[in-house]
Amino acid sequence: MSKRLVVVLLAVMAAMFSAHVGAQDEKWNNIPPTRAAYRNWKPSGVAPKRDLTGIWDTVQTLGVSGILEHPALFAGGRGQEGGREDETGIEHPLPYTPAGLAALKKNKPSGPGVRQVDSVLTNDPAGKCDPLGFPYMFTWEFRTINVVQTPRQVVMLSPFYGNYRVVWTDGRKPPSDPDPRYNGYSVGHWVDDYTFVIETTGMLAKTWLDHAGRPHSEQLKVEETFHRVSADAIEFSMTFTDPVMYTEPVQATNKLILHKLPDDFDIPELLCSPSEFADYNNQVASPVLRDGSKK
Amino acid sequence: MASRIGIVVLIVGLAFAVPVFAHHGAASFDVGKSVTVTGTVTEYVWTNPHVLVKVDAKDDSGAVKQWVLEAWNPVTQAGRGWSKNTFKAGDVVSLDITPAKNEQPVGEIRGKIVINGKEFVQKPAAF
Repeated sequence: MSKRLVVVLLAVMAAMFSAHVGAQDEKWNNIPPTRAAYRNWKPSGVAPKRDLTGIWDTVQTLGVSGILEHPALFAGGRGQEGGREDETGIEHPLPYTPAGLAALKKNKPSGPGVRQVDSVLTNDPAGKCDPLGFPYMFTWEFRTINVVQTPRQVVMLSPFYGNYRVVWTDGRKPPSDPDPRYNGYSVGHWVDDYTFVIETTGMLAKTWLDHAGRPHSEQLKVEETFHRVSADAIEFSMTFTDPVMYTEPVQATNKLILHKLPDDFDIPELLCSPSEFADYNNQVASPVLRDGSKK
Repeated sequence: MASRIGIVVLIVGLAFAVPVFAHHGAASFDVGKSVTVTGTVTEYVWTNPHVLVKVDAKDDSGAVKQWVLEAWNPVTQAGRGWSKNTFKAGDVVSLDITPAKNEQPVGEIRGKIVINGKEFVQKPAAF
């Protein structure tokens, strides 16, 4: 065998190996489409009955400040630099009770918004890698979830901060006197063949409603509607009721589109590690604190 | 090339008045300003919560400063075409960044990225 043939064969084998590795890796850590990819999107395909199974994505909650219907921003999206004590003047204000307003001021968000503080000064549970709990896990960077249905449950898995939810569909009632927990207690039922409604109660009051530091009490009740409008889309709406903190129900999302991704879509993990966060705070958040005396 | 290592400051004014880069901890950064940091990568940290690129760059007086430059998390950066192999120690880079308001050598990577003389073109942000 000539040297030239050996070189050619080796080159072909290397190329085949490289292509194989490339194809193999394409199956992993898939990145969802951007907002721009859905610019001219329209729902398509016949919706299956009583089925939410699949990988669902929304990019609409990335980079926003608080719940979508009430971002903590002034008109025109201004005010993200923060520094204000309260939310006076935001475009879509929340109906705080006096207790709600007092609780809001105790929460110091580091996400973009009119009340943003330097990240080393935040008391955001997310900044300590504490469990986000529900509904925070769905109001902040909803990203991509994996929905699994069993005969008795709808399970929602989110590799963002390692969140999961179990929604019971076996007909049980919510607990009458719940021991509060991070994700609360969720029961769901089909209103019709395409509309799944979840009621959640019993959430720990120390969790936040959203990334803008909105508070809630243990009286919080969250109602969600997953409306399967087509084979490739769900309209997702969420409403809060909490008479301790808010004088009337608050709509958090209104028909937010969840786009169906391919069944073999591998959601990348995005976990919060306390030690990694501490490294970040040491290297970035602490040095950039504007007033060193606050350290 | 070493003599060209330095920092060029460009004031972009209010070009970023409309928030397009809503970022955790952004209150500490001067979003109305862009600085180009040119120097040598000492470490590339591909991790949460934010990817870091550490760069040694000389200031106007010739003193070397270690800059800590952050991007978003690895998933968001992967969406923009980055990977764990985008930078390596020893790379000579030129990075447009938003600097800290308190003038510490810390910033957010935003804008043009040049690695070893070649521009690294990012994919559009996810939002």
